[in-house]
Amino acid sequence: MSDRKTRSAVGHNVDKVDAFKLARGEAVYTDDFTRTGMLTAKVLRSPHAHARIVKVDVSAAMALEGVIDVIWHTDVKAIAHTRAGQSYPEPSPYDTVIMPHKARFIGDRVAVVAAETTAIAERALKLIEVEYEVLPEICDMDEALTRTDVLVHEEADPLGIGGGGKSNMAAHIDKQIGDVDAALKTCDLVVERVYHLPRVQASHIEPHISIAWVDEDKRLIVRTSTQVPFHLRRILARILEMTESQIRVIKPRVGGGFGDKQELVVEDLVSVLALRTGRPVRLEFTREEEFIAARYRHPQRITMTTGVMKDGTMVANRMHVMADTGAYGSHALTVQGNTGQKVMPMYPAPNIHFLVDCVYTNNPISGAFRGYGAPQGCFALECHMDEVAAELGMDRLELRLKNHIKLGDTDPLSAKLGEGKEGLERVIRSTGLDEAIVKGCEAIGWGQEKKPSAPHLKRGVGMALAMQGSGIAGVDWGAATVKLNDDGSVNLAVGATDIGQGSDTVLAQFCAEELGIPTEKVLVLSSDTDLTPFDVGAYASSTTYVSGGAVVKAAVKVREQLAEVLGSHWECDPGDIVFADSKSTGPDGQTMTMAEVALFALYEAKIQPMATASHMSNESPPPFAAQFADVEVDPETGQVQVLKFVSAVDCGTVVHPRMAEGQIEGAVAQGLGYALFEEVLLDRSGKVLNPNFLDYKIASALDVPPLVTILVETDEPSGPHGAKAAGEVPSDGPAPAIVNAICDAVGVRNYRIPATPERVWRGIKEESPE
Amino acid sequence: MKIEMELNGRPVAHEIAPGGNLLSVLREIGQFSVKLGCETGDCGSCTVLLDGEPVNSCVVAAARAHGHQITTLEGLLGDPLMKELQHEMVVKGAVQCGYCSPGMLISLYAHFKASGDLSEHALREALTGNLCRCTGYVKQLEAAQTVADNRQNESGGAS
Amino acid sequence: MWELKEYRFAASAQEAVALMRQGPGTGAYIAGGTDMFLHPAECDFVVDINHAGLSDIARTPAGDLFLGAATTLHNIATNPLVADFAEGMLIEAAAHCGNRPVRSTATIGGNICNALPSADMAPVLLALDATCYIADADSQESLPLVDFFVGPRATVLEDRLLVGLALPAEAGTRRCASYKLTRSAEDISLVHVCVALGIEDGKIETARIALGAVAPVPMRAVLAEAQLVGQSVTEISPDLIADAAAIAAGECEPLDDHRASAEYRRDMVRVLTRRQILRALHDETTITKDSGGTVA
Repeated sequence: MSDRKTRSAVGHNVDKVDAFKLARGEAVYTDDFTRTGMLTAKVLRSPHAHARIVKVDVSAAMALEGVIDVIWHTDVKAIAHTRAGQSYPEPSPYDTVIMPHKARFIGDRVAVVAAETTAIAERALKLIEVEYEVLPEICDMDEALTRTDVLVHEEADPLGIGGGGKSNMAAHIDKQIGDVDAALKTCDLVVERVYHLPRVQASHIEPHISIAWVDEDKRLIVRTSTQVPFHLRRILARILEMTESQIRVIKPRVGGGFGDKQELVVEDLVSVLALRTGRPVRLEFTREEEFIAARYRHPQRITMTTGVMKDGTMVANRMHVMADTGAYGSHALTVQGNTGQKVMPMYPAPNIHFLVDCVYTNNPISGAFRGYGAPQGCFALECHMDEVAAELGMDRLELRLKNHIKLGDTDPLSAKLGEGKEGLERVIRSTGLDEAIVKGCEAIGWGQEKKPSAPHLKRGVGMALAMQGSGIAGVDWGAATVKLNDDGSVNLAVGATDIGQGSDTVLAQFCAEELGIPTEKVLVLSSDTDLTPFDVGAYASSTTYVSGGAVVKAAVKVREQLAEVLGSHWECDPGDIVFADSKSTGPDGQTMTMAEVALFALYEAKIQPMATASHMSNESPPPFAAQFADVEVDPETGQVQVLKFVSAVDCGTVVHPRMAEGQIEGAVAQGLGYALFEEVLLDRSGKVLNPNFLDYKIASALDVPPLVTILVETDEPSGPHGAKAAGEVPSDGPAPAIVNAICDAVGVRNYRIPATPERVWRGIKEESPE
Repeated sequence: MKIEMELNGRPVAHEIAPGGNLLSVLREIGQFSVKLGCETGDCGSCTVLLDGEPVNSCVVAAARAHGHQITTLEGLLGDPLMKELQHEMVVKGAVQCGYCSPGMLISLYAHFKASGDLSEHALREALTGNLCRCTGYVKQLEAAQTVADNRQNESGGAS
Repeated sequence: MWELKEYRFAASAQEAVALMRQGPGTGAYIAGGTDMFLHPAECDFVVDINHAGLSDIARTPAGDLFLGAATTLHNIATNPLVADFAEGMLIEAAAHCGNRPVRSTATIGGNICNALPSADMAPVLLALDATCYIADADSQESLPLVDFFVGPRATVLEDRLLVGLALPAEAGTRRCASYKLTRSAEDISLVHVCVALGIEDGKIETARIALGAVAPVPMRAVLAEAQLVGQSVTEISPDLIADAAAIAAGECEPLDDHRASAEYRRDMVRVLTRRQILRALHDETTITKDSGGTVA
């Protein structure tokens, strides 16, 4: 069991290693940097949802003073790839080229300008003449599934993942344990409902931004706001027909990513233009482009069919996911796979069926967004648990307690479903779920009568349970290098990608813990493909658990090297030397400060204490969350006010309590928007109607209710110092907890989120016509 | 056109485009605490002080700075109130990706300079113009509340 | 980027109009600029009126309130001269328009001149019988605000300049209540209802019900207003108030858009108008809280 008292760094609220420079507004992000002669790139985007780009006349644009280059599809070799930043071989269809010959959504790339200034680049865009052959578009999911006369992708996917060339299917999954149809016939009650999930946008405040240049060694340097520097280098090398050694990707501080930067979004364009012009090139998305040409959480329609016995025992559970990947299929298979795989194991019924139809449409592109499919699945499943309980006449908490996964249980789906292939069996070796439920219930006042604050309002409470993973079992891995300096400080170089979540700090804590030094003595470098070892990057809740494992191993190796040196110096067993409180102590009371040890190693023993270690886990232990909402609804207007939101989260050993709370609070704020007001709206031809923060609302300080965050500590045997992940699991439960609470308040369920005032009003009206 | 403004207490002359916004000018002259987030006046990551009032520099004409005082976070790094705010933001864990932090600090600074209202609601109001996608504003409000409490204690505990 | 050729400063209203007409090309007035940078006007130059002496707030001895067109919303929200006006309804509206940094520069004149159907300041000014003052090269004219709006994003101004707004003091007692319905805390209004009732000798002498975001222009529900006039504040029946609210709902002309349906907006006019009338009368009437008149 974790014990903060015996640990010096892990479990303590040390200062976040980059916080002071960020709070001073130092020049640390991609764009806080310039190079002489830097050009600005701007993208001409398709006004048509589906159109062949027949001819692009760039002559007038090129004639404009200050325009250096304009490219379109004839200028760039078409090498099929996926922009998804995943481990090779990526389980996403290779359906993308740098400059497409066919625009597949309103906003697809048509041409790109590089000019001396932004103003000139924008002027040049207006001078480009494009001849389109407009094609019929297909923007409805069901139509896309059934029609084959209109194909978003006419070419076959070289890897055979998508249905390109034959249908609009981008990914299909059909996995069954037991026999759901047969089992449903034996159940006392079968409940089927359909849930609708909106298209939402990550809305990191720093837009996508990249700067590329060719250095004095003729290498391509890409400074970019990314979650996946190493995947980026690999993909760029392939599509630019270069080798990895010719490319260096530098990730400075990143202003938020949330999955939206787990993808090559602008890096290929600045690279192509830098290579062509020999000049540094910068491309920054406008906020409007973020809403049109970045990525969304996949919109889904989920049908849940669940069979239970009278006593509440769940016998069979089916989840059918219909999803819209939009014009390209990056993350199509894996996000949708997660919708079931991360969610359905919460209630491990003997018969489980998970079905996915994920289609291409001529809508803007879906992709990775924190939770990676699980928030959709969790919404459906956790709303459905309330519906099943209501039909059974059973208490909704009791139904969950009866069926939820427990310590020692085997998660039935993980073995069936990995990342695009068979997965690995998962046994639950740590869970704080029951404790989280008890503490959460207490904090929200579950079961207590709650009076509304005014007679015309209705009050209700709701809950949701969630589980996620800690990295992708057997796939995700990372490495770390630890090097001791003269003064007893260490350099920690990690490929792991701090994008604001604080991974540099957590990794420094692990390193400090193993070496017995304060965290501020650990100088973290993340991430630079020339200077830091490999890591898959920041996604799948992997960094603390997977990359943390690598840091622990590397730091232990350095400690062992020091023990070796001191052991021969002190003539004692290296294993008897203790490293703590910035010093090493031998069995006979010999002692040296870390700085003295460093000087001794470097100048007497003449070795550089330094080690690199890699870490991969064949497990992906789930963190758990129990989340609760207390809401007040105005039935006449449909307005919902969340009065209080409670999250009780088991993320194993808590490495940094305040940062863990911060992850949870931020996830709840995003989940609140998902539940109540966030939705990217498209017209019938896939044009975004609200591509700005004026009309796409994310939670402000006035929207977030009082949050109660409870950290339930467990000790995960496979995790570094017992740690599991924390980043994604708390983003799953807010929407179902809030919608369940609305239903508790007014007796009407919102099967479709966001539960805007109008939707709540309409639901109530339809339920009780005047 | 050329503008002359007082930037962080010093006179600055700069050539601008008549339709340019103040945000781009400030970044051009090295004020990197001023961040581009939306360019529609919604996210607040470009918040600076114009004659002491917090404004979104993305929707303020650069020309408008002519003859006025502009203060960025760079100009307040030595200010005791700003240092206190920065310290509390860091210690409370309010800085995650940090992209919104300078704008928030400016907004809170302006609020504490101007207002006697240190209630939680007033502090939330003071932050409405600064969107943060990483946190749930809990830690920022804790930081702000601590600074508010410090000020109340200094002024004799009366509220 | 906004491709402007020239940025001009005006030192007075007259100079502003002169600079606007001076050419070459077309111009636009700019004050706060918060909306101009969202929807840049297609013009060659702008005329900045921030230094044209139009930023004053004044109260006459009789209690009338004058707001210069270039007065910022933050200034209105925090100015002691405005605080008690119309039971605080004006500062309430100003304080909920945009976010804090926007209110530092956004002006009341700009909010009105943009003439959006959802302009946050329009309903409250309509409910308070605002008069607009408009400057021409060497003359000034005034007209009721209700006649100022011509259509969405269209006003009577052409190349003239709005210099200020005058709000008459209440003759007797004025009871006010307003509500802006939004999707999130800081948002464009879906429906905005402002009610101002002038009360003399226990009777409603004048009634103003102004609505935002439910018609091509901010509007008054004059038929609903007429229902209320002459009613005793202590004996007015909840049914009559509900009827008036239903009439207001009939008077508005909402559209379906991506923010809300016309059907929802119309019903919200009914609900919110009823509630604002009840709230406005709350101190005077015998109607109890149970009728749903407290919150919203």
